[in-house]
Amino acid sequence: MEPAEAEFLAEKELVTIVPSFSMDRVHLIGGDLGPFNPGLPVEVPVWLAVNLKQRQKCRLVPPAWMDVEKLEEIRDQERKEDTFTPMPSPYYMELTKLLLNYASDNIPKADEIRTLVKDTWDTRMAKLRLSADSFVRQQEAHAKLDNLTLMEINTIGTFLTQALDHMYKLRTNLQPAESSQSQDF
Amino acid sequence: AAAGGGGPGPEAAGGSEELVLTPAQLIRSLEQAWLNEKFAPELLESKPEIVECVVEQLDHMESNLKRAKAGDLKVSVHRMEIERIRYVLSSYLRCRLVKIEKFFPHVLEKEKSRAEGEPSILSPEEFAFAKEYMANTETYLKNVALKHMPPNLQKVSLLKSVPKPNLDSFVFLRVLERQENILVEPETDEQREYTIDLEEGSQHLIRYKTIAPLVASGAVQLI
Repeated sequence: MEPAEAEFLAEKELVTIVPSFSMDRVHLIGGDLGPFNPGLPVEVPVWLAVNLKQRQKCRLVPPAWMDVEKLEEIRDQERKEDTFTPMPSPYYMELTKLLLNYASDNIPKADEIRTLVKDTWDTRMAKLRLSADSFVRQQEAHAKLDNLTLMEINTIGTFLTQALDHMYKLRTNLQPAESSQSQDF
Repeated sequence: AAAGGGGPGPEAAGGSEELVLTPAQLIRSLEQAWLNEKFAPELLESKPEIVECVVEQLDHMESNLKRAKAGDLKVSVHRMEIERIRYVLSSYLRCRLVKIEKFFPHVLEKEKSRAEGEPSILSPEEFAFAKEYMANTETYLKNVALKHMPPNLQKVSLLKSVPKPNLDSFVFLRVLERQENILVEPETDEQREYTIDLEEGSQHLIRYKTIAPLVASGAVQLI
């Protein structure tokens, strides 16, 4: 999956905007949105929020977790623990990039937030590389990855699965036919 | 209704199953099918009911928009949504075509030996495409190389020479419906097999072969 495709999925997440225009309810195929009234907050998917913001038709309200103190807590927790902390949004990376790209004027302390999210991402990716390495070395057959987000899985996913495939092919070619059959029940 | 009234609940009836999905559920099903197809090593069951209904929804919305006032903000919102849905649908169909081209002899073989009640992995159009692709490949190989070979080497079994999909590939998945006692086969001779339970909402990395039936039933989603 391309990062752009992970971002495509992240764009379905709902975010609050404050429109500067009026429009009555829109009946999209995927659900209803609105009605839109100037000055009244309303929830829309990120793909629409970003588009409206670009057309200067709204102001974006950052999600509750996009706040310096909260993100500092998360970053510190991530650095302290060996395991992965649950993230406030399954799309934290994509949403940070999108919202800071298009609406940094609506987000207080945007630069600090960018740095905090990047630090957290870096720590998590380092942990992920370590655990992928140990997975391959110990020839595990299964892993549980509950607190990983799609973007993180996606970043390492193709490489890891292809590496595991190669290992499997090498291993099964080493064993004579009879003993590899014995693994099937 | 105002431009682009998509309307709630037109029914999406399946072939042998009677599925009644809201448009929102239909789009979610399309996205699920798209992701599963993207990450599964083999060609999955064809989903004609989803594809047909999505095309119907898109056509319906397009014709509504044609009647609407141009430059209306609502129109552009609808158009954006239509583009997004079209992208997922195209990507899904393209992904299937890539797999059909990659595994064509095996795909055709599987379809030929399918039992009566079993779901098809190819839509009628995909089946025609696969057969044509196979015929073209055979003709090409014959004209470019085989007819110049000594008589006893003029045949090639595409079924044997084209690699099969590797069902032992590892995949990532998210659990949609709780499953108990899924067998995890050992990787090495020293390890023993064990069972795991798949909790709803959890994410796992595991070999595709073990969980293939769960993908088909919709109990897990590949990610």
